Amino acid sequence: MSSTTTTEVPRSDPAADLRARRVHLLRKHVPTGLLLLLAFIWLIPVWWMFSLSLTPNELLQLNTQILLPPQVTLDNFVSVIQVGLSGRWFLNSLIVASSTTLLTLIVSAMAGYAFARLKFPGKKILFPVVIAGLMVPQEVMFIPLFLIFEQFGLHNTHPGLFLPRVGIPLGVFIMTTFFAAIPREIEEAAEVDGASKWRIFRQIMLPMAGPALTALAIFTFVLTWNDYLWPLVSATEREMFTITTGLASLQGNFAQATELGALMARGVLASVPLLVMFVIFQRQLIRGISLGSGGK
Amino acid sequence: MSVVRDGEGDQATMHVQSGVAAPKKAKAARTPDPTRFSPTDLGAWGFLLPFLAAYALFMLYPVGQALVMGFFDWDFLDITRRQWAGWDNYRRMFWGTEMTWSVDHLVVLRVIGLALLIPLARSWRKGSLPRASIATLAIMLVAIFGVILGIHPGEGGRWFDSQFWLSFGNTLLFVAMSTPAIVGTGLALALALNRPSRLTGLLRAMFFAPYVLSVAVMTLIWAFMLNPSLGLVGLVGDWFGATPINLLNSSTWAMSAIVLATLWWTVGFNLVLFLAGLQDIDVQQYEAASLDGANAWQKFRHVTVPGLRRTIRLVVVLQVIYSFQIFGQVFIMTRGGPDGATRVLIQHIFERGFRDFELGYASAMSVFLFIVIILVSVVQFMFLGGEEDEA
Repeated sequence: MSSTTTTEVPRSDPAADLRARRVHLLRKHVPTGLLLLLAFIWLIPVWWMFSLSLTPNELLQLNTQILLPPQVTLDNFVSVIQVGLSGRWFLNSLIVASSTTLLTLIVSAMAGYAFARLKFPGKKILFPVVIAGLMVPQEVMFIPLFLIFEQFGLHNTHPGLFLPRVGIPLGVFIMTTFFAAIPREIEEAAEVDGASKWRIFRQIMLPMAGPALTALAIFTFVLTWNDYLWPLVSATEREMFTITTGLASLQGNFAQATELGALMARGVLASVPLLVMFVIFQRQLIRGISLGSGGK
Repeated sequence: MSVVRDGEGDQATMHVQSGVAAPKKAKAARTPDPTRFSPTDLGAWGFLLPFLAAYALFMLYPVGQALVMGFFDWDFLDITRRQWAGWDNYRRMFWGTEMTWSVDHLVVLRVIGLALLIPLARSWRKGSLPRASIATLAIMLVAIFGVILGIHPGEGGRWFDSQFWLSFGNTLLFVAMSTPAIVGTGLALALALNRPSRLTGLLRAMFFAPYVLSVAVMTLIWAFMLNPSLGLVGLVGDWFGATPINLLNSSTWAMSAIVLATLWWTVGFNLVLFLAGLQDIDVQQYEAASLDGANAWQKFRHVTVPGLRRTIRLVVVLQVIYSFQIFGQVFIMTRGGPDGATRVLIQHIFERGFRDFELGYASAMSVFLFIVIILVSVVQFMFLGGEEDEA
């Protein structure tokens, strides 16, 4: 198209015309192109981790400053799964993150519904008290929490790892905001039918809360999977490490540099579930962040 | 409720009514009559109980307990060493021997702090903030920067816990470095991405992706990336003829390297919030500004910034809170080294508590950190919020 127009226009113009077009195209595409380039550079470190994890360890002794594996192997992954505790840590993380997510969803949806819809004495005091909990950093509570779990003998157990996060009010905040925005008319019809609050919650409100629940689930799963301080304090036996604390325990030790491929394979193992979830549920995760931060 | 009792047969008509004609009436009836829900709503506690139990046990109680433990000498292993200690833990944090006060101690920091009085004075004159809060803030500034920070151990004296000051100072340094860097980069990226393009979603996802990695993966990547002989950063440095040094081993550069790695890791979070904020700004405002002949900078200054004020405040406050909680990155990558150059407060709390088992002292320090975070957040809300009213 562009070539035909330029040939038909008189001699003096095509240069100017081309230049104008070029300027226009440059203006339109150069910023996007530059951003895309920057975004690819941004992801090089992650790419590098994947590349090294697929490179034979012997070759990494010679050179690690590579973007593509000179020779692809899965040996690093095989050795990680066969030797050491990484498989166990991965499983621990899976159990802990899933349990936390499930419990948080149930508990937050119920409480969120009560705060958004039900009237009960003390609500005006209780809700601010709960929301104030959003301000409290984990670091303030972890010493007393450590003592509580010590008393119940729950250290180095899965419940010891997943229970504390259930008390974090972020989910309640998200669900309350969500339920409060649903038009009342929908439940009023059911109320007229004499449905109990529990039935209204289960059969009307919960099915509508799908998007908010998904966002909350993804967000909780990611945060729990990546949690560092509490598992570091609570799970001190190597068998009970999560993949996050386990992987951390292998670092800072330069003997590991000789097994860089296997170390990077562990990093990949620790990231893949989250990266897969991220690719699938990107929108929900990002929405969860906006909701959870009090943005829109 | 009474409608139901009146007759089941009327249900169908009620559905229609509630959908069409009733809303006005229902609204009027709902507010003044608190008993309307009461019979079934006692069940509200059933809905709340699971969460409240967890909240009380794993949140309220620990916070209260931390406050209490701060006043105890609480040895984890030796139960006989658990006794009331009064303010001893706090004395150990803040005090030393041969204490004295001098004008020139930490003079640069204190002058900067006191310089904050100038913008305060300006808003006092403009009346853009409640004067009571300005006065409170001014008194706090004078007390902290004018007086308190001038106190230090004199000749032959020493802090009871100089590591506390070192690590708290490093935490503050990290907050001061990371907040402008990460918020600024997030805003810049958001502005660049905020255009109608099919690629926006993809680009946002690409910049956000590192955020889902765990801290251990992030440190794994960056500890080796920054290694001069193994990592790609060293390679890039070679191209520019830089002498290869390990930034993480240099007490001058280690903190900057950590800030950089953290920026890469978390900037996506701010980017997402900024993009959401930008999308709430009415496009017509930009069009109106264009008609008035505003250039790009003027549009940014007079449309974008005012429209983003709420988001900016939110992002800054959240970023400061997160930055104060820095721990994992440094603990895994440098263990606080070299020579304590990256040792942060939570590492100090963690080691005092779980290596030395001094849980009372560790609690006192965590309470101190909490109070600092709350104070700083409140001040930011007042400051950044006041300008919003003005706009």
